[in-house]
Amino acid sequence: MDPTETSPRARRVGGGLLWFAALGGALSWTVHLFVAWATDELACASGHTTLAGFPVKGVVTIGVVLPALVAAAALATAWLAWRRTSAAAGEDDPRMGRAALLAVVGLAANTLFLAIIIAGGVSLLVFSACQR
Amino acid sequence: MTVQTEPDQRRPEVAELEHAWHERPSLRTWLSTVDHKRIGRRYMVTAGVFFAIAGVDAIIMRTQLSRPNNGLVTPEEFNQLFTMHGTAMIFLFATPMFFGFGNFLVPLMVGARDMAFPRLNAFGYWVFLGAGSVMFISQFAGAAPDGGWFAYVPLTDRPYSPGRNLDVYALGLLFLGVSTTIGAINFIVTALKMRAPGMSLNRVPLFVWAMVGTSFMVVFALPALNLANAMLFLDRRFGTHFFDPTHGGNSLLWQHLFWVFGHPDVYIIVMPALGIVSSVLPGFCRRGVAAYPLMVLALVTIAIISFGVWVHHMFATGLPFLSYSFFSAASTLITIPSGIQIFAWLATMLRGRIIAGVPFLFAVGFIVNFVLGGFTGVMFAMTVFDQQVTDSYFVVAHFHYVLFGGAVFPLLAGVYYWLPKFTGRMFHNGLGKWAFWLVFIGFNTTFFPMHVSGLLGMPRRVYTYPTGLGWDPWNLLATIGAYVLALGLILVATGVVQAIRRGPAAPDDPWGADTLEWATSSPPRPYNFAVIPQVHSLHPVWDERSREAMATGDVLAGHRAVLTSELDGDREGPVEMPESSLLPFAAALGLLFVVLGLLWGQYWLAVLAAFAVFITLARWLWPPHRTPEEAGVAREGRAP
Amino acid sequence: MTASPPPPGTLRQATRADALATEMPVGRTRGWWGMVFLIATEATVFALLLGSYFYLRFQSGRHWPPPGIEKPELTKAIIMTILLLPSSLPVVWAERGIRRGQPWRLRLGLSLTLIQGLLFLSVQASEYATNLKKFTITTDVYGSLFYATTGFHGFHVTIGLVMVAWLLAASLRGSFGARHHDRVTIVALYWHFVDIVWAFIFMSLYLSPRL
Ligand code: HEM
Ligand SMILES: [Cu+2]
Repeated sequence: MDPTETSPRARRVGGGLLWFAALGGALSWTVHLFVAWATDELACASGHTTLAGFPVKGVVTIGVVLPALVAAAALATAWLAWRRTSAAAGEDDPRMGRAALLAVVGLAANTLFLAIIIAGGVSLLVFSACQR
Repeated sequence: MTVQTEPDQRRPEVAELEHAWHERPSLRTWLSTVDHKRIGRRYMVTAGVFFAIAGVDAIIMRTQLSRPNNGLVTPEEFNQLFTMHGTAMIFLFATPMFFGFGNFLVPLMVGARDMAFPRLNAFGYWVFLGAGSVMFISQFAGAAPDGGWFAYVPLTDRPYSPGRNLDVYALGLLFLGVSTTIGAINFIVTALKMRAPGMSLNRVPLFVWAMVGTSFMVVFALPALNLANAMLFLDRRFGTHFFDPTHGGNSLLWQHLFWVFGHPDVYIIVMPALGIVSSVLPGFCRRGVAAYPLMVLALVTIAIISFGVWVHHMFATGLPFLSYSFFSAASTLITIPSGIQIFAWLATMLRGRIIAGVPFLFAVGFIVNFVLGGFTGVMFAMTVFDQQVTDSYFVVAHFHYVLFGGAVFPLLAGVYYWLPKFTGRMFHNGLGKWAFWLVFIGFNTTFFPMHVSGLLGMPRRVYTYPTGLGWDPWNLLATIGAYVLALGLILVATGVVQAIRRGPAAPDDPWGADTLEWATSSPPRPYNFAVIPQVHSLHPVWDERSREAMATGDVLAGHRAVLTSELDGDREGPVEMPESSLLPFAAALGLLFVVLGLLWGQYWLAVLAAFAVFITLARWLWPPHRTPEEAGVAREGRAP
Repeated sequence: MTASPPPPGTLRQATRADALATEMPVGRTRGWWGMVFLIATEATVFALLLGSYFYLRFQSGRHWPPPGIEKPELTKAIIMTILLLPSSLPVVWAERGIRRGQPWRLRLGLSLTLIQGLLFLSVQASEYATNLKKFTITTDVYGSLFYATTGFHGFHVTIGLVMVAWLLAASLRGSFGARHHDRVTIVALYWHFVDIVWAFIFMSLYLSPRL
């Protein structure tokens, strides 16, 4: 096999990586919002401060930290993808131009979503779980 | 720029194309057409009429509120007025109007011959017309919805709201939802599959991105409204208890469902408008919009984040601080992508050579008002402030700056900008300028004082108020403004009619703009493009190679269009496009009777009509008969 | 075989510009995309419906179902699950068949699915018949949720069956083959969706109150 040729598997993974670079931050923010909000809201509404033995605040913290890490990973992927594809994009090359666009959009989007997750997460330091 | 972008109309291939796409004017073709341009114009005219009616509602309200203790309308009438005004403006005017623009423009901008699903498109229009008619007729019958445009339970549930009014609301919006959902899916698939060869995602015009972003929001947000309305109807008519706390239900469920939809809806309304501004500016600044990737970023992230902010409408309902703060973070940071767009537009203007045409004036008017609306919006993201002014006139002022400033100003910019393309006629410039200044001044005189009366404590949705609270002058001012505004809008309408009647014929590309709709005749032929464009850049009409490809390429014969690949726009091949048909109209009519049957409690009628709809759809989608060879049936186990 | 340096690892290759720019998704038809987005919007309805179920349930105090209503009966629900979930298999098999140009597989597969779907609906009808003696849609919010959710799903099964029957009729007439099977793929997508949604409903409405 020619070492410069890209295997079909690698192509699929590559295409998937680009989507992760573009949307990974958005997805992790969605998960974060859902987990953190639903746990806090429902636990407090039913009058508990623990959830299956874990403190609510701990669960919410996990719901902040894990998605933040995934968003950071997506950010790194986007950065790499942007460097590689924009270097390869020629003058009239729809495919590479499109890939570079998705990467640079991902770069900015992941930064934004990471910032949102962190900005919301900071309030964990201020409020207790069910304070109203 | 004189390079020809169109092939000669006299070529025999073009004559044959004319024949294949020609529709003889008759009542039948009027009902059966699937041409996206005719459907788009219909959407715009119908939505324009609905805007006028809802505007009259507003004028009546402002007249009533012009002085304290006025008795022009009764409290019951006032309830119907503000509810119908709000509901109609949001659901029957704003979104359908932009869907009309999208219908006309998206296929042209991507260089296609029609939408992906032309018949569904016709169906969507007829459903919209039916739903709008039902809701407005209820107003003339005195049974219009009267629970505010967001229809909070328990007020809107039985026994507090007897009568048909809120059944009209729930069923009318469900009915309309069919049209909106179908339209949205059609936009997405058109943008995915019908783009001209060479138009990879990085060459898609911003207006098309905006329509696609809007459509994604519709696909995921509208279900919440539909579900809420279905539950409301079941509660009211069949005695279920979704919102009834005495039987384990919960009124807050309505609020959650409604705002899961409602916040994205603000962006569903405003996003196409942002797309219009991004289309108008290049023509009047002689350069493309700055920072294209960031503009795409802004549209995409707004579409996503708008789903995560719904709770900010309920800061007054008492949820834990911690869960608030997650939403607060999103509500605050969503201003960043909006800000990016504003700065990109400003940069475009600063670095371009400005020609202050009428569309440009409206675009600038938009930026000014929208920034003000955005500013008060940021104030709401601060929970403390929000709790102070919730449900006051400050809120009314804020959302009109966002909705009127953010949607109607760009809309008017778009009307003037594309009127030559829509109608083939130029408008009268002086009239347009007058209209702009009247609308701009009238708008600010109407809504700026409402900030003040709101801070002075005037609550929204009151049919009158006592004197001596310091509200009187502000209300009078707002009413005067409303009349000026109405005058300006009438001038806009006059300008449109005058252009159609007596305007000079429009050139194909009056503004020297960059997107593909300007590369075809004004108004476009039924097949849009004789030669399917080959796109080489983000600004095909400004780019030598794309223009040359259009002028010299082969004519695509027959009632056909070209499919391309999803991301890169690689040519996949031609496909037959559906012919005109009466089935969409028939199906929409059937659906209308389903709704009426449910509304009147004549369930047999609803069931019968639903049956008729099914039959029509089955007929509509029935595949053509094919011989085994055509279909590709294997003989004796051999693969074909 | 000549000796060549080992190819770089998949991840290495995948992060080359060329691999990153792989077009994905690609080559689907308009109808396929249309159905995907229809399913997306319908799936959102179901997700919100189940979300509403849990929202109301967690706010309704200790007992769920509320006092006076027994926990949901599992026997019939399990039979329904056994009938519905595997009904996607004949569809897959039928679709593969028509891709190879074998209409008999299409007809047989669709008929099997049709039978399974009809049996599902009849068991659901008999379940309703017993349940309605104990509680109705107006008894309390539990009843409202139960009947609205399962009824809405049953309605989707019905629509799916109409589509399958319609496809069967068209295939008897001879419209499909290796070159033309777009409608088969589209209906198959919808049926899988109806099927998967049931799994969620089964877990939420039937299993979770027993946990
Ligand atoms: C034509 C100029 C317009 C005027 C003079 C106007 C005036 C008003 C007035 C007086 C109210 C009632 C306030 C109250 O009693 O609480 C109102 C409410 C409202 N307006 Fe407008 N409006 C105009 C245009 C629009 C547009 C273009 C939109 C949206 C696209 C819109 C959306 C709404 C909504 C959603 C409400 C709230 C209804 C409710 O309280 O349920 N309006 N407007
Ligand atoms: Cu909002």
